Amino acid sequence: MTLLSVDGLRKTFGGIVAVEDVSFDVDRKEIVGVIGPNGAGKSTTFRLLTGFHTPDAGRVEFAGEDVTDLSPDARARRGMIRTFQIAQELTGMPVMQNMLLAAQGHPGERALTSALGVGGTDAFEAEQRDRAEELLKLLELWELRDEYAGNLSGGQRKLLELGRSLMADPDLLLLDEPMAGVNPDLTDRLLERILDLRDQRDMTFLFVEHDIDAVMRISDTVVGMHNGAVLSMGSPAEVQSDDRMLEAYLGGEI
Amino acid sequence: MALLDLLLVVGIIAGVYSLLAIGMNIHWGDTGLLNFAHAAFFAVGAYTSAILTTPVLETGLLAERVVGFDLPVVAGIAAGTVLAAGLGFVIATTSVRLEGDYLAMVTLSSAELVRLVIHNEAWLTTGAQTLKNIPRPLESTVTTLPVSYDLFYFLLVWGLVAVTYLLFERMSSGPFGRVLHAIRENDDVALALGKDVSRFKLKSFAIGAGVAGLAGSLWAHYVYAISPVMFLPSLTFLIWTAVILGGAGSYAGAILGAVVIVVLRQVTRFIPGSVPFADQLPYIRLMFVGVVLVVVLYYRPEGLLGNAQRLQAGTSEGE
Amino acid sequence: MVLDPQFVWNGIVVGSIISVSALGLTLIFGILNFINIAYGDYMATGAYIAFAVNAQMGLPLVVAIAAGVGGMAAGAVLVDKVVFEHFRTSSPVTLLIVSIGVAFFIRNLIRAVWGPSGNFYDVPIEANPSLFGVRYSVEQVSIIIASLLLLAAVYVLLRRTRIGIAMRAASDDRTLTRIRGVDTERLVLYVWIAGGAIAGLGGIMLGLDAQIRPNMGFTTLIPIFAATILGGIGDPKGAVAGGFAIGILQEVSVVVIPSEYKFAVALAALIIGLLLRPDGLFGEATR
Ligand SMILES: Nc1ncnc2c1ncn2[C@@H]1O[C@H](COP(=O)(O)OP(=O)(O)OP(=O)(O)O)[C@@H](O)[C@H]1O
Ligand SMILES: [Mg+2]
Repeated sequence: MTLLSVDGLRKTFGGIVAVEDVSFDVDRKEIVGVIGPNGAGKSTTFRLLTGFHTPDAGRVEFAGEDVTDLSPDARARRGMIRTFQIAQELTGMPVMQNMLLAAQGHPGERALTSALGVGGTDAFEAEQRDRAEELLKLLELWELRDEYAGNLSGGQRKLLELGRSLMADPDLLLLDEPMAGVNPDLTDRLLERILDLRDQRDMTFLFVEHDIDAVMRISDTVVGMHNGAVLSMGSPAEVQSDDRMLEAYLGGEI
Repeated sequence: MALLDLLLVVGIIAGVYSLLAIGMNIHWGDTGLLNFAHAAFFAVGAYTSAILTTPVLETGLLAERVVGFDLPVVAGIAAGTVLAAGLGFVIATTSVRLEGDYLAMVTLSSAELVRLVIHNEAWLTTGAQTLKNIPRPLESTVTTLPVSYDLFYFLLVWGLVAVTYLLFERMSSGPFGRVLHAIRENDDVALALGKDVSRFKLKSFAIGAGVAGLAGSLWAHYVYAISPVMFLPSLTFLIWTAVILGGAGSYAGAILGAVVIVVLRQVTRFIPGSVPFADQLPYIRLMFVGVVLVVVLYYRPEGLLGNAQRLQAGTSEGE
Repeated sequence: MVLDPQFVWNGIVVGSIISVSALGLTLIFGILNFINIAYGDYMATGAYIAFAVNAQMGLPLVVAIAAGVGGMAAGAVLVDKVVFEHFRTSSPVTLLIVSIGVAFFIRNLIRAVWGPSGNFYDVPIEANPSLFGVRYSVEQVSIIIASLLLLAAVYVLLRRTRIGIAMRAASDDRTLTRIRGVDTERLVLYVWIAGGAIAGLGGIMLGLDAQIRPNMGFTTLIPIFAATILGGIGDPKGAVAGGFAIGILQEVSVVVIPSEYKFAVALAALIIGLLLRPDGLFGEATR
């Protein structure tokens, strides 16, 4: 069953065509890896999918609904949560607060309930703290829960961002290079976790990653991009053996 | 005794300024919004209250005010608060999407427009003249008691400051404040996590403006008479100085900053007129406020009670 | 409805003042990247220095203008050395708040020195002649001539001199110029000199047209800022066009709205400009 359907997306910046006629579908519970050399248009595609850019053409459908004209926050509330390539943690807020912020449908986010602590705010908050604790322990950030996010290392920031997006309990998680700067041991465990979430929580993943091994290991489908367009799409093995992808990477490296 | 009376007056002014600073702190300290329209919210609170609680044509010879309602003071204060919040909401709808310093200019201009309206629509506000005879709450009752009216008003104002402080402190440390803080830090993140950023900004703006309106109402009912020159942009900048001095983000700091600024301004009033430069004293005082603002920003950007660690962590660059 | 040419003439006079002033503000913004709230008070300082030389010391107006312009150029550099220099790495918003402190200081210094009430330059009072039904004063004509001279001078500065070209480049792209080895601190110095001098002239023009008051610059800041925004912040050409547009619109608006509210024109221009065309009239985005 299709969860996300992307049709003919196009985005230009001045003269640069960043994304050109990108179309693909993502099924529920599917894990899709997006690869491609630097500047291929991966992050731009993510921004188009999540509403941070308006496409010049094309449409995005999520869970059967046309979301092309929705704002980023409206898409997020529908269950589409993204991370940023350059971790955008809230540096002046402690790790725990970063996590709790992501909780969806928090009754305490209304001014009055927040001030008066009514409407189930405290119970909900306690529940979310427990969830955050579990995730922070998995991400080896529990000891740092009261530290300001701005004081974390680069790798820790990426992990916090991953944890925060999991706190939102999304249906579709779009991860932009989640493993960059994370140590290999932890990468392995995170990949396991992604598979678990897929199986137990029916989560769907779309992720950009330069670590080709990681992509090949957990993806059901791989999308290869180059110069803004989808060059190759299929099973990991198919894309890996596609000569055009190899050429794109080699071409990019010169 | 006379000294005590003076202290009460200074205390009442400090209480009113504290409310203004609390309102400013939810804007700037919690949400990172540059509000330069605070004087307008204060003015709307004051004038709404005054117009609602005075009868028609109660004022001087040249006055042409044809509107007045003679309602109870409580109604005036409530309406002043709500209307100021409404104005905050309206100003914010035009401009919360703007980048910080642009927002500052739009709010500053809007505030000037509000003052222009007050100045020119004499049928409603008595225009450039003073709107006089604003009733004081419970005045006849209090005079039968063994306490002075100023003491009563002092307790009233500071009671409201205390309640407001507690509410805002809770709001700021709760989930609502968390979203505001996230917007202050980085509104893309808040968006990506499904927070309706514009709406939160609007709420923040309206709430802070409402408190400024409350302060305006309390001011009007204390001073009997108000006129447009009380609501110049320099009032807004004084409150800014109070918030920065106290420590943006800290409500206790906002109150402390307001008290310090008021004391600074009022204490010099007691300097005898025979000292050199006595005539220039009011201006020298304000020059000093300017110096305080710059010096605090340089030597102690977190202010007296602000959180230095947060500021340091907050300015660290992401990779 | 016939448009009275008198309003248009008044608009051109006001537009000249706003254009000149907006030009200085936009130059400063282009290089230093923050909104200097104290700019209006720089204008007032220039006006008061000229007032001291002209009305208090009894020297001719031309000398007074030179003193006001030169004095404020030096003043702007002084303020930079004492205050702004210490905040070079601060965010634009911090700098904006710092400039509030500076504005407070300067405005009240003026009040302390010259008093809070209005003053006039010592210029011969003559009956205003009229031409084709438009009344005009010598001051107004001088304002327009002075503004044209200044605009021409700045044009030459920005197009023909090395420092001017560096200024334009830096305004377009700061990091790029730094990479190319332009001495940014020297550039900053020149910008304060130019910006301060222009502010001083703008203030004197304002004082000639109306009155010299301590808050004269601050209250004119909004139309000036509106012109800057409308022209695309950091864009000198746009600031001048925006200045004339706002000046003329503001004066002509009295045909349709009560004249007390002509200031609202600037506000409307500001809001519409920001919401619809944040890149300015000529669309050269600077951020
Ligand atoms: N906001 C923007 N303005 C102008 N050009 C942009 C913008 N965002 C992206 N681009 C350009 O669009 C192209 C695609 O960029 P994008 O960031 O999507 O690539 P990417 O595949 O994510 O690369 P990387 O692996 O380096 O992250 C690049 O040429 C980039 O320079
Ligand atoms: Mg990318």
